[in-house]
Amino acid sequence: MALGKIADNRADHWGAQFRKGCLEMAILASLWKSRLYGLEILRRLERSSSLGLAEGTLYVILNRLKADGLVHSEWVDAGSGHPRKYYWLTASGKDRLRTMARFWVQFSGDLDALLESVLSGRELASVHR
Amino acid sequence: MSTDSAMAAVNEYLARLRKAFDYLPSAERDEMVEEVRSHVLERIEAEPCLTEQLVNGILRAVGDPEELASQDRTEATLRRALKTKSPWVLLRSTLTWATTGIAGVIALFVTLTGYGCAAVCYLSVFLKPFFPSRIGLWLRPEHTLTLGYWDGRFSGTQVYGISVRPPALFVLGTLSPTEGPVRELLGSWLLPVGLLCGALFAVGTTLLTRWLIRRFGPRKRSQSPRLELTTGAVR
Repeated sequence: MALGKIADNRADHWGAQFRKGCLEMAILASLWKSRLYGLEILRRLERSSSLGLAEGTLYVILNRLKADGLVHSEWVDAGSGHPRKYYWLTASGKDRLRTMARFWVQFSGDLDALLESVLSGRELASVHR
Repeated sequence: MSTDSAMAAVNEYLARLRKAFDYLPSAERDEMVEEVRSHVLERIEAEPCLTEQLVNGILRAVGDPEELASQDRTEATLRRALKTKSPWVLLRSTLTWATTGIAGVIALFVTLTGYGCAAVCYLSVFLKPFFPSRIGLWLRPEHTLTLGYWDGRFSGTQVYGISVRPPALFVLGTLSPTEGPVRELLGSWLLPVGLLCGALFAVGTTLLTRWLIRRFGPRKRSQSPRLELTTGAVR
C-alpha cells in the first residue's frame, strides 16, 4: 500500500517535471502567430494545453526567454488604466521553436507507437477527452 | 473589501516579490514586478465583486514569491555571470551554483583558487615596497618556488603565498615549515612580474569560469538534449 503511494507520488513528480520542461516550448508556440501580453499567453495556454502553471512562473520564463534573445517585448498603454507588456518572437526565437517542434513531433510520434499497446481503447479515449 | 485594502494586499505581495528577486539587476526586477502588478490589477478589475478571499486567491494563483524566485535564482545569476568581467559577480554566481551540485562546487573551487592566486600576486606587488626583505619569489631547499611572504626565520621557516614544485605540487597558502636557507630570486623585478602574473591569473580565471558556466551550467544542461533526433532514434 505504502509502496503504491510512493509510486503514485513519483509518477506525479515525473508529470510535473515533464510539464515544466515543456513550458518554454508552449510559451514560444503561443507567440507564433501574434503579439500577446502575459495574461493573453496564459489564457491561450489554459485553452490549448494542460500545462497548469503558477501564473508568476510565466513571467519568470518570459524574462529568461528575453535574456536569451528569443522574444522581444514592448510596453503598450492600451487605455486600460495600466500598461501591458507585449511579447513577440525574434528570428532566433522562431528558429528555436521550429527546432523544438520538429523534435517534439518526431519524439512524441515514436513514443505514441511504443505506448499504443499500454492503454486500452477506453483509457485512450478518456485521456484524449 | 475596500479598494484601499485590496491595493494594500497587492502592494505587500509586490514588495515580497521585489525582495525575492533581489538577485536580478534592478531594472529587470522593476520591470518584472510592474508586469505582475499589471497582471494582478487586470485580474482584479475583471471581478464584479471584490472580496478579501478573491484578492488572496488571485495572488495565490500568481505564486509564492520565494518559490518563484527559487526556480530561477541559479540560472539568472549564472546568466548574468556570462556577461560580466567582475570577479565579485563571478564568485557570487559560482557560490550560488555550488549550492545546487558538484559541478558548481568544482567551479567555485576553480574560481576561488584562480582569483586567490591573482590576489596573492597583487598583494605581493603592493606590499613589496613596505617589506622589501620579506616579500619575493622564494626558492626553498626542496626546490619549491613560492611567491609571497617569508616569515624571516632561518629555522622552521614558513613562506605564505603561491607555491609550485615540479612536477605536480601546487599550493595556495603555506607548506609545512622547512629547514635551511631560502633564497629570493626576483628583487625589484617582482613588481612587473607580479603585476603580469596577477593579470594573467585574473583574466584566465574569468575566462575559465565563464567557460565552465557555459559548458556545465544548469541552463546548458536543461537545453542540452540536442534537438536532432534521427529517424527511429527512440525505437
